[in-house]
Amino acid sequence: MIGYIVRRLLQAVLVVLVVTIIVFILLHQLPGGAARAILGPRATAAQIADFNAANGYDQPLVIQYFRQLGQWVTGDFGFSIKLNQSVGSLLVQRMPKTIILGLLSLVLTVIVAVPLGIYQAVHRNKSFDYVATGLSFIFYAAPTFFIGIIMIEIFSQNLGWFPPEAPQSDGIGPIFQEFDAMILPIVTLALLSIAGFSRYMRSSVLDNIDQDYVRTARAKGASPSRVLAHHVLRNALIPIITLLGLSLPALFAGALITESIFNFPGMGLLFWQAAQASDYPVELGVVIITAFATVVGNLLADVSLAVLDPRVKL
Amino acid sequence: MTIRPGEGIPAGVLDEAHGEGAAVAVSSTGLPVGKAKSMFRLGFEVFIQNRLAIVGFIVLVLAVLFCFLGPVLYPTDQVTVNLENVNLPPGPGHPLGTDQTGYDQFGRLMVGGQVSLMIGFAAAIIATIVGTIWGAVAGFFGGWVDAVMMRIVDAILSIPILFLLLFLVTIVKPSVPVMIFVLGLTAWLVPARLVRGESLTLRVREYVQAVRVMGGTSWHAVLRHIMPNVIGTVIVNATFQVADAILLIAYLGYLGLGISPPATDWGGMLSNGTAFVFTNYWWLIYPPGFAIIIVVVAVNLVGDGLRDSVEVRLQRR
Amino acid sequence: MPLLDIRDLSTDIQLSKSVVHALDHVSLHVDAGECLGLVGESGSGKTMTAMSIERLLPPGGHIVNGEILLDGEDLVKLPEQRLREIRGVDIGMIFQDPMTSLNPVVTIGDQVAEPLMLHRGMGKSAALKEVVDMFGLVGIPSPLQRVKDYPHQLSGGQRQRVMIAMALICQPKLLIADEPTTALDVTVQKQILELVARLRAEFHMAMILVTHDLGVIAGNADRVVVMYAGKVAEMADVHTLFAAPKHRYTDALFEALPERVAGTGERLYSIPGLPPDLTEPPPACRFAPRCRFAVAQCRAEVPPVTTIATPYGPQEFACIVPRTTPLGMPEPRDLRTTIPEVARVEAAELEAGMELSLVKDDGGHDLGAHGAGPSSSDARSWVAPTTFIPADGTPLLQIQEAVKDFPVTAGAILRRHVGDISAVAGVTVSIPRGQTLGLVGESGCGKTTLGRMVVGLDTPTSGAILFRGRRISQLRGKEAKEGRRNVQFMFQDSYASLNPRMRVRSILREPLDIQHVGSPRDRNDRVDELLAAVGLPARAAERYPHEFSGGQRQRIGLARALALQPGLIVADEPVSALDVSIQAQVLNLMKELQRDRELTYLFISHDLSVVRYLSDVIAVMYLGKMVEVGPAATVYAHPQHHYTRGLIDTIPIPDPVIERRKAKLGVRGELPSAMNPPSGCRFRTRCPMAQEICARVEPPLQPGGGHEPMPADELAAATAKAVAAGTVPHLVACHFPINGHAAADTLTDETAAPDPV
Repeated sequence: MIGYIVRRLLQAVLVVLVVTIIVFILLHQLPGGAARAILGPRATAAQIADFNAANGYDQPLVIQYFRQLGQWVTGDFGFSIKLNQSVGSLLVQRMPKTIILGLLSLVLTVIVAVPLGIYQAVHRNKSFDYVATGLSFIFYAAPTFFIGIIMIEIFSQNLGWFPPEAPQSDGIGPIFQEFDAMILPIVTLALLSIAGFSRYMRSSVLDNIDQDYVRTARAKGASPSRVLAHHVLRNALIPIITLLGLSLPALFAGALITESIFNFPGMGLLFWQAAQASDYPVELGVVIITAFATVVGNLLADVSLAVLDPRVKL
Repeated sequence: MTIRPGEGIPAGVLDEAHGEGAAVAVSSTGLPVGKAKSMFRLGFEVFIQNRLAIVGFIVLVLAVLFCFLGPVLYPTDQVTVNLENVNLPPGPGHPLGTDQTGYDQFGRLMVGGQVSLMIGFAAAIIATIVGTIWGAVAGFFGGWVDAVMMRIVDAILSIPILFLLLFLVTIVKPSVPVMIFVLGLTAWLVPARLVRGESLTLRVREYVQAVRVMGGTSWHAVLRHIMPNVIGTVIVNATFQVADAILLIAYLGYLGLGISPPATDWGGMLSNGTAFVFTNYWWLIYPPGFAIIIVVVAVNLVGDGLRDSVEVRLQRR
Repeated sequence: MPLLDIRDLSTDIQLSKSVVHALDHVSLHVDAGECLGLVGESGSGKTMTAMSIERLLPPGGHIVNGEILLDGEDLVKLPEQRLREIRGVDIGMIFQDPMTSLNPVVTIGDQVAEPLMLHRGMGKSAALKEVVDMFGLVGIPSPLQRVKDYPHQLSGGQRQRVMIAMALICQPKLLIADEPTTALDVTVQKQILELVARLRAEFHMAMILVTHDLGVIAGNADRVVVMYAGKVAEMADVHTLFAAPKHRYTDALFEALPERVAGTGERLYSIPGLPPDLTEPPPACRFAPRCRFAVAQCRAEVPPVTTIATPYGPQEFACIVPRTTPLGMPEPRDLRTTIPEVARVEAAELEAGMELSLVKDDGGHDLGAHGAGPSSSDARSWVAPTTFIPADGTPLLQIQEAVKDFPVTAGAILRRHVGDISAVAGVTVSIPRGQTLGLVGESGCGKTTLGRMVVGLDTPTSGAILFRGRRISQLRGKEAKEGRRNVQFMFQDSYASLNPRMRVRSILREPLDIQHVGSPRDRNDRVDELLAAVGLPARAAERYPHEFSGGQRQRIGLARALALQPGLIVADEPVSALDVSIQAQVLNLMKELQRDRELTYLFISHDLSVVRYLSDVIAVMYLGKMVEVGPAATVYAHPQHHYTRGLIDTIPIPDPVIERRKAKLGVRGELPSAMNPPSGCRFRTRCPMAQEICARVEPPLQPGGGHEPMPADELAAATAKAVAAGTVPHLVACHFPINGHAAADTLTDETAAPDPV
């Protein structure tokens, strides 16, 4: 077990390293390099040369990379050009908010999608299944922002149930004090993944429901509900764990959109504003952190898979 | 956009799984009777039997006609700003009203659709080609080449594609060709993984091993057996790539980093519309929103239908 | 009153576009304490009958007619709730594949305890205590530790023991075993069947044994029901059935058994055609189209059930022209035998197909009445060995000290070498031209690896494989490519070995295209010839593999192997996936092709009776080692190695008298891991005669066995003598061979007598 985790950890580190290399290369694709980006278009050639020398941008790429890597490892992501704050401190402020939004919507997804998928599989090819499949097709095809806009229009503008804007205050505590303002963002973000997960869950249960071991369980006199709960679900839920890990990038992307709709000051909004303002250090910092979070998420998924599935060789 | 549900069982296969030799009509000697049908034909038949896929296909054709032939039948000025006719509700002359710069919304839907569809299809093609080559090379050479190439794929996959796209469009100013290129270059990862996985499993198939017994080369095995078997999967995936690309381009448009005005796409139109959520200018929001949903659902239906027709051919035993 | 009484049972399976009438008015009964054998080919409805009893039918399956009375209670009408109280309590079930039939993510202890907790209301710990006792009863070693294991941690035999424990934990009155040993090796099969027999006696259980294997039936069943195409063909007690079958299907089935003609050189009877498609079953007798004795009446009406009395009880059969004499006794001449309908259609199809090629080369084709065989007259065509192989005494194939180790690695990034699987460990054997070497052994013994090395799919770690004296693996470039022509391979799985996206024409052309044989036009002609040679009509060329049945696909595989006119064909378990009647078609075809084209076969199989039928020489492998090799008749009749003896003992013989009298010897235990093979003689861990020396010294493979290696010149002399007599010497690698050292004296007699085949 320990050996497996160590091996898997090494792989994850490798992937993160490759991410940093890719980001580093992207950084050097900036028009005019980092100097032009930071000093602005009116900087003279001499100023740029001074800047490059001062920051070591005139050294060989490999050396630059390792120096950059060293900074990233210590949590030094540079300084925001526009917000006049270190990227590190911005991330510390914004990241927890996105994580809370993501986690809550993931919880909602699992709570809704898993039972829904199971129900659809058990009652397959009945009218409810058709309706649910149809809806999941539509929600899967609907851009998150469109769903968000409709949500705002219905639930805050027409019905007035929830505020149209997410909590604006700093810190995590106030989020829970103004939780009604979080409902719409969470639901919006969850709808797309509910559509995907319920379809996946449905086919995963269907994959298992005709297996020989189900027949064995029935031959033992187990009731349909026991067969489902005790035998089918134990098998059907295993791939969902992997899927949870794999869905993280999509979740982050969804969070970006959701945050921009509801003006929720998380990492996604930070990234969006940075992108509009060409604030490269912030953008790179966010990219590295999200990639890191994704890798960690996949790692957690793999480890829990190894714990839950006895067939996974450790 | 990495979840691709329904990968488990194609519809209809389950029903066939327990047939004791019922799939093919046989004569009393056990030899198949009837006209010999080509694989392509068999697949085509399965596809046209899938009513949803046909509906999807027809909708897609109509959408293309609407966007590309529509402006000929219903010409509108989508360049000149007309401040006298801003935000008109639907009425005579403007079936879907006008937007905040006075463009006719109905005509704009066509123009925006052109951009969305063009980028969607072209980007999917680029992504599929790049991904297939990448995956095929990795799968074919194996060993450390494969390890390095796949770690790169893993790494890029762990960066949310939207973040990567946003970053890229801040470097290069977005135009249609640029968007196609950028989208294509970020979406090739899934086909790459797919092709590599498929060629690895095909490599150990007995009929590929049989080639070696006959004295054939690896190239023969790749051209004659691996490629034709991979191609179905690639085409199916390319369809889903189109759907993903249309959505992504809409996201970029919504985030204001898509095509610059006066050109637009459905996402950009929606983005403009959001400013008027509270003023009930519904015609600025719903038409582009539903256009995206309808087209993406249609593409996904076609993809599902294609997947079933590719797989059913192999499912029959 | 019988324990279980099935009356007029009909079961349908609803498919997306059609309905399979899987069972049609099936009636049978099981008495308390008796073992009813349910035998038939795939699709005969035997499994469907077993599954109907507890209504465990596949999706779409439903009972449309009849009743199933268990102790007088009709299970068909029983509400699901009440039926659940019967499942696992009154009726226990064992399924074919223990790997897929056990839940992979639940511990075996929990799975076996489940019926106790469900029906007996036991708590988990109490139930597990009983499970441990049960595990002890079914022979699972250290049961206390095993209850926490998952199915994948056990061997196939152990898993089936778990299934048995689970079926018996509530001590049911009836045990239904659906092909309980089909997925297992013969040695393990024997152990499992003996275990079931013992427990059945202990618990006084009745049993329904569903199997396709007549040998298994002969040894275990009291009464037998033979099913064909969803109907009961015949019912009789086991002795009557095997001595005097009445139904023409049962009769034909017995004649198709390779055991019947083994060693006589006779042609195996093969039932032409295939079982009917049950979406539209034939209206009258369902076997009529394939029957040699069918009369007009058979095709006009459903045969009524005839009951006759025998000393052991009633015999029932639904046949209009039943067999008139006991098996083994010729029937009176006046009985008219005809060419079965399907055979005539087949022949006509072949004829029609041949007309196409006859336009180019005129020449008659005398088609065998069975349609399965080719004629000898097209030997002139180019479907014969290209290179002239002189009969100069050089063996066609020599395998010298062949070794194959598969490295075992661990670790995801730094792959470190942790050991080797010793798949083949120094095998030496040769095959004379035109003969068949049958290679037998349990799965995992290395026989397939050896075959793959011969065709070049695997490279030997050391040692040499010589085709006509030349090392195959040392050929390079063009020579290597053309060298491939000489040795071709026939795969076990006919479905996996044919590209599903290619038409048969392209599949058969592929080897010709690769080797650039003739012009494209020639190649197309050759495809037609090949199809005719394997008894398939020319129009088969335009079809895809999935459109054929398993036996037909295996013929296509054989045709592909023949395409390059090889001298040697390595056939890896070519008939093990086929039903008896279909198996005979393929075996006959292989034998005829061998005679017509002087083919040499390396025939790999776990089935000794099939090997015995086809082979001139039998070689027995155990855990990578050759333990015995010699003329087929000799090895079979006088095995010298304890393993060979055990293997022969384990084969169920389709004769209840012999099968029941057979000493319960067999082979103990299961195959050890090839990663750490036992020292000395690898078989010693399972050998009844193992002594201290067996662990220390590896016995040499030589005439008569023994500890000391025989002087090389003596060995050479023995070999030369045997070769001069047209056969091979009988060699054994055992310190204490059967017959002791006297075997060396009798050796001369045995080797001098040429194999009758």
